[in-house]
Amino acid sequence: MQNVLFQLIVSGTAMGFVYALVAVEYTLIWNACGLLNFSHEKIIMLGGYMFVGTCITMFGMSNLLSALLAILLLGVFGILIAVVIFIPLRNQSRLIAVVATVMLGQILNEAAVLVWGPVALMPKNFLSGVFQIMGATIAKSYVYIIMISIFIIIALQFVFKRTKFGKAMTCVSIHKTAASLMGINVKASMVITLMISFMICAVIGIITAPIFTVKQQMATMIALKGFCAGVIGGFGSLPAAIAGGLILGIVENLAGLVLPAVFKDAVAFTLMILFMMFSPKGLIGVKQEMDRKRQLRTGEV
Amino acid sequence: MLEADRITTYYGNACALREVSFEVNEGEIVSIIGANGAGKSTLMKSIMGVVKPRTGAIRYKGKEILHFPTHKIVGEGIVYVPEGRDVFAPMSVQDNLEMGAYSRPFSKSQTEELCEEMYQMFPRLKERRKQTAGTLSGGEQQMLAIARGLMSKPEIIMFDEPSLGLAPIVVDEVFERIKYINQELKISVVLVEQNAYMALTISDRSYVMENGRIAKHGASQELLHDDSIKTAYLGM
Repeated sequence: MQNVLFQLIVSGTAMGFVYALVAVEYTLIWNACGLLNFSHEKIIMLGGYMFVGTCITMFGMSNLLSALLAILLLGVFGILIAVVIFIPLRNQSRLIAVVATVMLGQILNEAAVLVWGPVALMPKNFLSGVFQIMGATIAKSYVYIIMISIFIIIALQFVFKRTKFGKAMTCVSIHKTAASLMGINVKASMVITLMISFMICAVIGIITAPIFTVKQQMATMIALKGFCAGVIGGFGSLPAAIAGGLILGIVENLAGLVLPAVFKDAVAFTLMILFMMFSPKGLIGVKQEMDRKRQLRTGEV
Repeated sequence: MLEADRITTYYGNACALREVSFEVNEGEIVSIIGANGAGKSTLMKSIMGVVKPRTGAIRYKGKEILHFPTHKIVGEGIVYVPEGRDVFAPMSVQDNLEMGAYSRPFSKSQTEELCEEMYQMFPRLKERRKQTAGTLSGGEQQMLAIARGLMSKPEIIMFDEPSLGLAPIVVDEVFERIKYINQELKISVVLVEQNAYMALTISDRSYVMENGRIAKHGASQELLHDDSIKTAYLGM
């Protein structure tokens, strides 16, 4: 029983980090451009295909090199999409940008079949094998997912809190006009944000390739649950997105102990709906409410 | 030094500025007074490239800057401290100041030195350097916005309603600092104010705006004694 619990917590944490990365990836764009990237599911898929289909299979490169090249290519693709879609459409009606990104997703989806074929791809000897820890069997891929995600989150924290350029990106997300009045090039900042976001998408596609295999629908569920993670944490905040992702991943996995496995996804979406009903601001809203109550209490005394 | 030549600005179909000409010379304090909606802030935003005028020209040191994006205009040495201050609320006071110097290639130690200068000018900010800007009082936020504007070592600094919503004693302090910036730091100042008396007393020259036009301009001392201005803006 203990072993099973431990296994579930590790795999739940790993999936939680994947949801957290998804939440981070679209929150970055939301903060920088005020738009949601509805194609993010297919960008993640594109990352997976670039990695396995193009770099490993077509170029015959090693796993590590392929991963790095795929991330780089998606970064370039991000710059292109920023210039072609996000920047020209950012001041239009939201609906236009929504339709544009949905269509981008559709185009990528169909292009994937034409370019890489309809058969699911699987990277060989990539993050495979198992660890035996405390009598439990843990798939190595979960451990790698946790490590890589933590690395990305720390790196992002460093960029946003310590570097001049990262702070400028934060300024853009807080107040665009004020940021430009500081001499910050808001458009350039949007381009870089899209690039980073797409690179994170590539990482998600690569690290989940061994779990879901590379196919058109590989990211459908994690993209939806990443959205849940953002709602549960509190929309627009990176730390909240990460917390929301982890909670979601662990809760839905532990629910497997008491509920039949088919209800796993239902748990995640029920949790999101409960949050939307009772705390639409997510965990941030819960925290604000607690702070307010504490202030009231100390104020009374 | 800075010259707007007959600029006309629209918001959609609404005309906010009609052929406004405006000039700032080196070393002066120029004030712009007028009622709400007269176009004072629009004039500032047109100069900064936040809104783009449809016709006219804006020259800075002989260079045409009308089509520059905002961040390039800041790079040229013009800084605008917006109405409502717009400090970056979730960021610390220190980070806010550092962002003010974003357009300049200062090294870490140079930036640090500049921050120290600002803290000397505004000691209250030093006590609060680690606090987030959102937790500051209105007066402190105004001081922070001014200090943040000075961080890029501008040649012209434009203040939009710096006294808005502040207690009278804090208003005096703000105007004291504005005078200091002009006289000691040798920076040309543009002051947009609803507090016409304050603006006319502190400035060398003034423009009076009405319905998107310059209704009057001249030496502030003269305007202070102008009968129509007395009745319309000074309540005398």
